[in-house]
Amino acid sequence: MFRKNEIYRVDYVLVSAVLAVIIVGILMIYSAGFDPIDRTNSGLYKRQIVWFIIGFILMIIMTFVRYKSLGDYCLYIYFFLLTIVIATTFFGTPIRNTRAWLTFGYFSIQPSEFMKLAVVIVLARYLELRERDMRHLRELLVPTAATAVPVLFILMQPDFGTAMVFIPLLFTMLLIGGADVSHLVAIISIAAIALVFPMFLTYREWVAAQDESIIVNFFKDYNLLFSVAGFLMLIAIAAYAMHFFMIKKAFRKIYIPSVVLSLGLFFSVFIMRFLKDYQKKRILVFLNPDLDPHGSGYNVIQSKIAIGSGGFFGKGFLSGSQAQLGFLPEKSSDFIFPVIAEEWGFLGATIVLGLLCLIVMRGAQIALEAKDKFGSLLAAGISSIFFFHILINVGMVLGIMPVTGLPLSFVSYGGSSLLVGMISIGILINIRMNKFVY
Amino acid sequence: MSQTSLRTRMLEAFRRRMLIVMGMMAAVFIILLGQMVNLQIIQGETYRQRARMNMENYIPIPASRGEMYDRNFKIGRRNEVIVSNRPSFNITTIPASFKNKEEMAAVIRPLCRLLKISYDDVMADIRSRNPWERVVIREDIGFDTIVLIASNQHLFPNIDWEDAPVRVYNYGNMFSHAVGYIGTISPAEYKRLRDSGYRHYQKIGKSGLEGEYDSLLRGVDGHYRRVVDVRNRIEGEEVGLQAVAGNNIVLSMDFEVQKAAWEAMNDVKGSCVVLKPHTGEVIALVSRPDFDPNMIISKNNAKIIEELNADKNKPFLNRAIQSKYPPASTFKIVTSIAALEEDKWNPNYTFFCPGKYTLKGFIDKDFYCYASHGTLDMYWAIARSCSVYFYQLGYKIGPTIILKYADYFGLSGKTGIDLPGEIQGFLPTKKWKLKTFGQQWFDGDTVNLSIGQGFVSVTPIEMANLVCGIVNNGIIMRPYLVREVLSPDNKKVLRKIEPKKIREIPLSPMTLDTLRQGMRLAVKSGTAARLSYLKVPIAGKTGTAQTRSKRTDDYSQHAWFVGYAPFDGPVENAVAVVVMIEYGVAGAVGAVPIAERVFSKMLSLGYF
Repeated sequence: MFRKNEIYRVDYVLVSAVLAVIIVGILMIYSAGFDPIDRTNSGLYKRQIVWFIIGFILMIIMTFVRYKSLGDYCLYIYFFLLTIVIATTFFGTPIRNTRAWLTFGYFSIQPSEFMKLAVVIVLARYLELRERDMRHLRELLVPTAATAVPVLFILMQPDFGTAMVFIPLLFTMLLIGGADVSHLVAIISIAAIALVFPMFLTYREWVAAQDESIIVNFFKDYNLLFSVAGFLMLIAIAAYAMHFFMIKKAFRKIYIPSVVLSLGLFFSVFIMRFLKDYQKKRILVFLNPDLDPHGSGYNVIQSKIAIGSGGFFGKGFLSGSQAQLGFLPEKSSDFIFPVIAEEWGFLGATIVLGLLCLIVMRGAQIALEAKDKFGSLLAAGISSIFFFHILINVGMVLGIMPVTGLPLSFVSYGGSSLLVGMISIGILINIRMNKFVY
Repeated sequence: MSQTSLRTRMLEAFRRRMLIVMGMMAAVFIILLGQMVNLQIIQGETYRQRARMNMENYIPIPASRGEMYDRNFKIGRRNEVIVSNRPSFNITTIPASFKNKEEMAAVIRPLCRLLKISYDDVMADIRSRNPWERVVIREDIGFDTIVLIASNQHLFPNIDWEDAPVRVYNYGNMFSHAVGYIGTISPAEYKRLRDSGYRHYQKIGKSGLEGEYDSLLRGVDGHYRRVVDVRNRIEGEEVGLQAVAGNNIVLSMDFEVQKAAWEAMNDVKGSCVVLKPHTGEVIALVSRPDFDPNMIISKNNAKIIEELNADKNKPFLNRAIQSKYPPASTFKIVTSIAALEEDKWNPNYTFFCPGKYTLKGFIDKDFYCYASHGTLDMYWAIARSCSVYFYQLGYKIGPTIILKYADYFGLSGKTGIDLPGEIQGFLPTKKWKLKTFGQQWFDGDTVNLSIGQGFVSVTPIEMANLVCGIVNNGIIMRPYLVREVLSPDNKKVLRKIEPKKIREIPLSPMTLDTLRQGMRLAVKSGTAARLSYLKVPIAGKTGTAQTRSKRTDDYSQHAWFVGYAPFDGPVENAVAVVVMIEYGVAGAVGAVPIAERVFSKMLSLGYF
């Protein structure tokens, strides 16, 4: 149990912010489930209360567990959850064509939510161990693989939104963990180049309906692209050899861009040849929902109407026409923020966003002040999970981010998301309590 | 490098990077907040409106369009109703209320089968319109079909119906050109009239009185305001705006006279205008061939409109006001007046008619009369329509004076009748001829002009005004078809249309008397003698116009009759009649019999 005075070290700011946000969430789930015509409620809010109680217990338990032991058992946790994720991918309950849930009678669990935490733990542990070697490129391999494997299986479910969160999470962890910034920039550049060419082509063919121009024909010539990529690779090898033998840092300026461009081209050819047309289009629509106004575009339009029509003070609880009359889709899960913004206005939405910001920043502060490197990285990773969820979700409903199905942490309806959130908060509290222990 | 300093350096690096990450996170939150300010505060009003548009459906309550009665209308009596309405329904939908194209097709396709209309036509119409606006799928649906759809509403989600009274033209073809017809507002009309309160789904008067008095007849549509959810389930409904019915109007036209004239012209092409010179009231206005407005008002009958438009007989053309013809011998009235007024010509002066008139010149040219009349004065020249007399008279006074008087009578100006699309006649001038043909005005042109041949052309309504001027002592009134505007319940006369003087020609009593006597003589023992047996003294003038038609058969002459009755009665009682028959052989043959039936009908109705 708590040692003397330990109960006073619980971070009450963090706890009260989290509790406030969860209570707002439950109220909003009540509002979203309300049917003004039949005067009934879908009752989802009751389930969320049950999840909250379970989550609260798990949060308290997590504050007692020695967080260092999470690091010790990180591989067990990781592989255990990975197995479950893989099992879900193949044997999960299909809901709306996605096998992301395991159903146990009355309730269901989304293992990929828990996987995020597991990946953060394993990355924190690895980065702690390799702290001094992180500036080497080869050290990026293991973290990338540890992230890529679950991402691949989650993509197969297919749950695009959840899979997407892992990538910025990995980069944030690597950045904080001491990786060479130029390496990270190079990897991001390669990915960007690999995507830009196929997307440009698909856009020209599909949207602009111009497939016969010199530029398009140039990019369509795979052999030409391949030779350019190979040539660049040769230059890179030559420059690296010079760098290796003459030990002159100046050659980095040649071989790093060459490798980036070369690999980018290779991958773009790969994507162009092996991705089906509809897959390319899906990526394109993901990047720009306006291209598909009847599909994902509709949701964002209705969401913006809900938020915008809320004005400063909002329309009042249970009085949002967009939410109550059903124009807003997925209003208890992914599109819960618009319900807040519509019914409680700019004022209410700003307070909720402020509380969420407080949780993220508090997590980051705990990371800064943690006693050891593992605690720092763990806290930073947890903070990042929250942050990217908020960014992607709120950005999406505000119409400034692509549309992906991702819940808003603590607020959206969803047991797994809430449980993981509260477990993570328990870990944060734990790390903060331990900074006073020497 | 010592262990401690490395640790410190790495800790420093970690702190630096952590702070950078925190800064970026804070920046992101500020961006999110900024977008919230943008949506909720800056664009708040726009989005509030869009939210309202989402939840509120406006179901129009159509205003009932004003009815039309004939001139014998009396308040509180059963009246002759020329145009009325009958209750009916429209099937409508809002395309945007369907989730996607497949869902829409799944509903619209069986609906089209039920309503027996082409699916492709409906989809083409839907695609050409704003998806958030109400689209009428089919008009004029009976109550039983509505019941069928209403009882199977689960099969037809998002399909709605609305009251839509249908216009009924009780006498079909008989009043087609005077009354006109209504039709669905075209995109071009909508664009022009949107600001005056017209809606894209409304009907609009397209021609005739329906077009001219549209703003009086149409009233103001009301609407129900319905609050609906995304599945169009109705949360509440209230009358947002009561419809205001359109005004009824009383025409100056007489149903019986119109009927007589219309039936008399059963198998001819042409027009007939009957009006009161004293006020300008139009009592009958017939144009043949005609059309049945009942057949073309519905938007489902676009094909019939196309066929009528393509018909080479041009049934849509109102020949009384939209067609011009050489006035022929009826123009001799103008030549006579010009001579009497400006040339001190005495009606007793005579000319000799040997059957032709030879115009002396570089090459002599002969102008023929249809008979050799011998010596005649002006009265007999008008009565017998002797061309040689007028050749010489016209040559004597010259074209300028003739055209001056033609212009006084408004033969090249619109009469201002309250019907849309009126055209004006044409009077040639020296300047015009030089410009168009590059030729001087020849004496031959003058000779031709004096008997209304050659370049001159007039509309029948203008000729009617000429007669009116003679009857009414040189005063010409604006012809009009609508006498009174009534309140929608027929209880009150809101407005009486006052007669309006448009021209006053100072003619000497001698001139007027000469013309009236001449025209009377034409009926008593001249070209229009067929009218002489009627129990009212009629005066008139026939005309037979050589046309420039490519047709070479015997009928390539237009027949005219212009006249009035009673010849010497009070002006208040006088009625002017103009009959114009295309390819009517000759005035006496083609036009006079029709005038005869009109006069005899009016006689039996007690007009004189």
